[in-house]
Amino acid sequence: MSMIPEKPPFKLLDILYKKEFILFVVLVSILIINSNISPYFLDLYNLIDSTFLFSEKAIIALTMTFVIIARQIDLSVASIIAVSSCVLGYTTSLGYDTWLVISLTLLSGGICGAFNGAIITKFAIPSIIVTIGTMSLFRGLAYSFLEDSYYNKFPKLVSNLGGGYLFGYIPYAFLTFIILAIIFAFILHKTSVGKKIYSIGNNPDAAQYTGIAVDKYTFVLFTLNGLFSALAAIFLSGRLSSVRPNIAFGWELEIITMVVLGGVYIYGGSGSILGVVISIFILGMLSFGLGLLNVPGVGIIIFTGLLLILSIGFPSFIQTLRRKNE
Amino acid sequence: MKKFLTNRDFILFAIIMIGLVAVGFANPLFVTPSSISDVLTDTSILIILALSQMIVILIRAIDLSVASNLALSGMLISLLSTVHPELPVYYFIALSCVIGTVLGVLNGVSIAILKVPFIVTTLGTLSIYRGLIYFVSDGKQVYSNEFSKDFLALIHYKFLSLSFLFWLAVAVFIIIYILLNHTRFGRNLYSLGGNPDAAKYIGINENKYIILAYSISGFFAGLCGYLWVARYSVASTQIAIGFELTVISACVVGGISVMGGVGTVLGCVLGALLIGLIRNALPAVDISQFWQLAISGAIILIAIIINTKTEQRKEKTIMVEN
Amino acid sequence: MKLELKNISKNFHGVKALQNVDFQLKDNSIHALLGENGAGKSTLVKILCGVYQPDSGSIHLNNQEQTISDPAISLSLGISAIHQESVMFDELTVTENIFIGNHLTKSNRLIDWTLMESKTKQLLEELEANIEPNEKIKDLSIAQRHIVQISRSLIHDADIVIMDEPTASLSQKEINELYTIIRNLKKQNKSIIFISHKLDEVMEVCDDFTVLRDGELIKSDIITNTDKDQLITHMAGREVNQIFPKNNVTIENEIFQVRDFYKKTQFKDINFNLRKKEILGFYGLVGSGRTEIMKSIFGITKPDEGDIHFKDQKINIAKPSDAINQGIVYLSEERQQLGMTGLMSVKDNINMAIMERNSQFYIMDTLKEIKNASAMQEKLNIKVSYWSQLTQSLSGGNQQKTVIAKWLSTKPEVLILDEPTKGIDVRSKSAVHEFMGELVGEGMSIIMISSELPEILGMCDRVVVMYKGLIKEILNVKNASSEQIVKLASGES
Repeated sequence: MSMIPEKPPFKLLDILYKKEFILFVVLVSILIINSNISPYFLDLYNLIDSTFLFSEKAIIALTMTFVIIARQIDLSVASIIAVSSCVLGYTTSLGYDTWLVISLTLLSGGICGAFNGAIITKFAIPSIIVTIGTMSLFRGLAYSFLEDSYYNKFPKLVSNLGGGYLFGYIPYAFLTFIILAIIFAFILHKTSVGKKIYSIGNNPDAAQYTGIAVDKYTFVLFTLNGLFSALAAIFLSGRLSSVRPNIAFGWELEIITMVVLGGVYIYGGSGSILGVVISIFILGMLSFGLGLLNVPGVGIIIFTGLLLILSIGFPSFIQTLRRKNE
Repeated sequence: MKKFLTNRDFILFAIIMIGLVAVGFANPLFVTPSSISDVLTDTSILIILALSQMIVILIRAIDLSVASNLALSGMLISLLSTVHPELPVYYFIALSCVIGTVLGVLNGVSIAILKVPFIVTTLGTLSIYRGLIYFVSDGKQVYSNEFSKDFLALIHYKFLSLSFLFWLAVAVFIIIYILLNHTRFGRNLYSLGGNPDAAKYIGINENKYIILAYSISGFFAGLCGYLWVARYSVASTQIAIGFELTVISACVVGGISVMGGVGTVLGCVLGALLIGLIRNALPAVDISQFWQLAISGAIILIAIIINTKTEQRKEKTIMVEN
Repeated sequence: MKLELKNISKNFHGVKALQNVDFQLKDNSIHALLGENGAGKSTLVKILCGVYQPDSGSIHLNNQEQTISDPAISLSLGISAIHQESVMFDELTVTENIFIGNHLTKSNRLIDWTLMESKTKQLLEELEANIEPNEKIKDLSIAQRHIVQISRSLIHDADIVIMDEPTASLSQKEINELYTIIRNLKKQNKSIIFISHKLDEVMEVCDDFTVLRDGELIKSDIITNTDKDQLITHMAGREVNQIFPKNNVTIENEIFQVRDFYKKTQFKDINFNLRKKEILGFYGLVGSGRTEIMKSIFGITKPDEGDIHFKDQKINIAKPSDAINQGIVYLSEERQQLGMTGLMSVKDNINMAIMERNSQFYIMDTLKEIKNASAMQEKLNIKVSYWSQLTQSLSGGNQQKTVIAKWLSTKPEVLILDEPTKGIDVRSKSAVHEFMGELVGEGMSIIMISSELPEILGMCDRVVVMYKGLIKEILNVKNASSEQIVKLASGES
């Protein structure tokens, strides 16, 4: 046996260059700044309740991470939420059993996602264009179904899931997100499925030539993304207790921001669940803190946009400068 | 002539005509000259934006920030007009274009110099520019009675019973047509989008072209900022929200390939006209406005599927058929 | 002297691509630039084209020192390159491709399409080429594309024309036409740098030659002072007969048959068989359908008709994983694009095709991965510092070994190699050859596509010669002459 080490010798400095580490430092600084500015920030109940602001998006961000690592993008998730919420409201109004309602809701999301996946793989069309189309289509279906009415009756279980706490402390949505994050991190980083997703994202052609079923994976990932959008729709509808067709409008951008800010390369092939989770907390704590300071939502929008561009632009700019100096 | 009217453009033209006739049967009022003139006016802004978006798509990119850019430019000049109603209207138009161009340049710099992928950049500025509208306006609207007369008058000017907006769209069409087909700049855009690596060998500076393409896109978004505000006599945080997708669909339906380097100016205009026609025809044939979005979505999907089917490069023939 | 390069050096990430290379191009001459793949020819060309900047050294044009900092300057200095990989614009017309980057304009600065078209027409007539100015490039043949590229340099009024393997995929008739054009260029006071692997044609067309090896200048002289054997020795750095290790294995029974393979416009009537421990060569021009057949065998594309029989059984291959499971693997010619995943580690690449074997209930077993990677590393002598090293950072030869390791990990019985030694240095090349010998010794059967006749003659037992999607003949290498094979491959007999 040859004695080739698995990794180069460990250097403390290397950690400092890790994206996850930089994100972590940013998160800690935000926590410190926030707690200095507002005395209400570090209140445990406040903090826990603040997770309601991002948990639903965060759930979708997990599958979106898979989609983006596999060199795809899905702009239709928010519209799928609209469709699934309508299904949720409609099936409830028909008086179906709770579990049937939930199953049909999840099914509707899965079908929407599968529809994306089928068009993308069958016709070999870039996902950004397909999902721009289905983004209008799905949202439009919700509008044409609901017109200007709304649903406000949901099964008790759904309302409870959306706004309730486990043991009175931990919001179900947040708990679901954390559990899913652990499962997804395991799948992505420890299993052959994860390795295949990286391989597809890095070089889809080479992956195909290595016998990896690229189209099958792409299809399944989009289906999953739809399914999890429906799951998010259940939490969101339960929390809002009223569903209009414009529900979750613009969320696709916020979700993609979560993923990209978390260090996932927009053209696929690299990124980690840990990075995305930290970035979700950064964005969540940021908007919570700014909210406490009475900064309106738009301030957060601008800040998020800047953060998104600078988090990618700044390192690559430094790199270019460094290369010029050499 | 053959170059002007490619096969694909002809088919698109035929579809528009058939659609027009079909709607005409269902509702004869829709095909009266005044009604058609209204459709053209209503579609003009879309045509202008689709043409400028086409320039960006030609070089394998997309500008998702146009609608936010439009809304921000429109809001800024509206706010100025409430303070200085005495300024002449061309001043506002010029200013709107300048603001739009600056916002476009920012996109270009981020993509070309900071190397932030175009999706990320324009998704980011889509939020930032939209957010800035709230910031400068405090979330308030500027209503029709707050604009000066001049500010709104130009848009209602008519020539040969067709609106100013329509003639402006025609002018933009001619300018972009000449730019893309009869200038070195335009041809270089096609080469850059068609084969970026090869473009390097013939000395095309990619960064320069990216910044210029986004500046042009920004310039016209700024122009449309004025047009939109003047036409609807209102500036608010919500105007043109989501319109970037309509613009992109017009390009896609018009046969502008998102893989870069392929597409005609005429096709782009026809794509915009088809989308405009559908948007206007639905109410005329008693389809609820709520269906509009779903139908546009379906049309984009059908158009791209047809595009890809026809575009998918023929496999190189190796064998002499025998 | 038209062009003089003095002491040019260029490094890439510590790899010396060129070391103190001198190069002189005389007026009115055709100068052959020779060397194995990876010898530094293309780096030299890219420096002349302004794509790369030399780390040191100077470039003198007509005895004046010049800095070529970008491609536009190179063009304006009268240097024009006809590249092997097509740097053309498929969707644009012939006229536009000829004038690209240099469109003619009217006094009002708008493009003068009429003038450009008439000039194109005139030029194509002069070259006696049957091409319409309005045709799109994507509809042209490879030979026609070359002519468009040559027209491009004529329009640019280039003084120096660089031709990178212009005849690689042309038939003999087309090649002769090209020679006429090249000689005409010389008469028009132009100098030509001619890159080719075909030494016969070099001896026939060129006036001078320069040989590079491993980034160093080996020899530069007039062509009449040398002969083919000497050139080969210069290029390879050793005696010719040492290049290919003879493999002395006894070939056994037939194990693999392709019957009546047909795919519309691609290939037709493809029938051949492969015996255990045999190396079967596939020779033909680029674009003769060799790769397309292999892709269909491997399940990337579907043939319209035809069967594959393996070990006396008809097998069905609908996708690459079917082939891999049967023990049939395909190593693509395009190593970077289709073979490896550059941004993943060497360990991951080696284990890419056997993830199922290295995992239990989908959970990866790192120990198994390292065990396999180590075994392969030892077998192929891959130079790697640590397992998490990115494959991209390896040299071309070690990348190729990594890809081979990936396929050997699957324990295949039939190995299809598509140009396995393309673009790797001489030493790795012979390592690959030696290894092929070992593999057949161990009982494997190999199909090798190659455009290099010496490689075919040196390594294979039989060779399938292809022309335009058809098998012209299957020859026993022992009884075949290179002239015969070349003639068959260019459709002349």
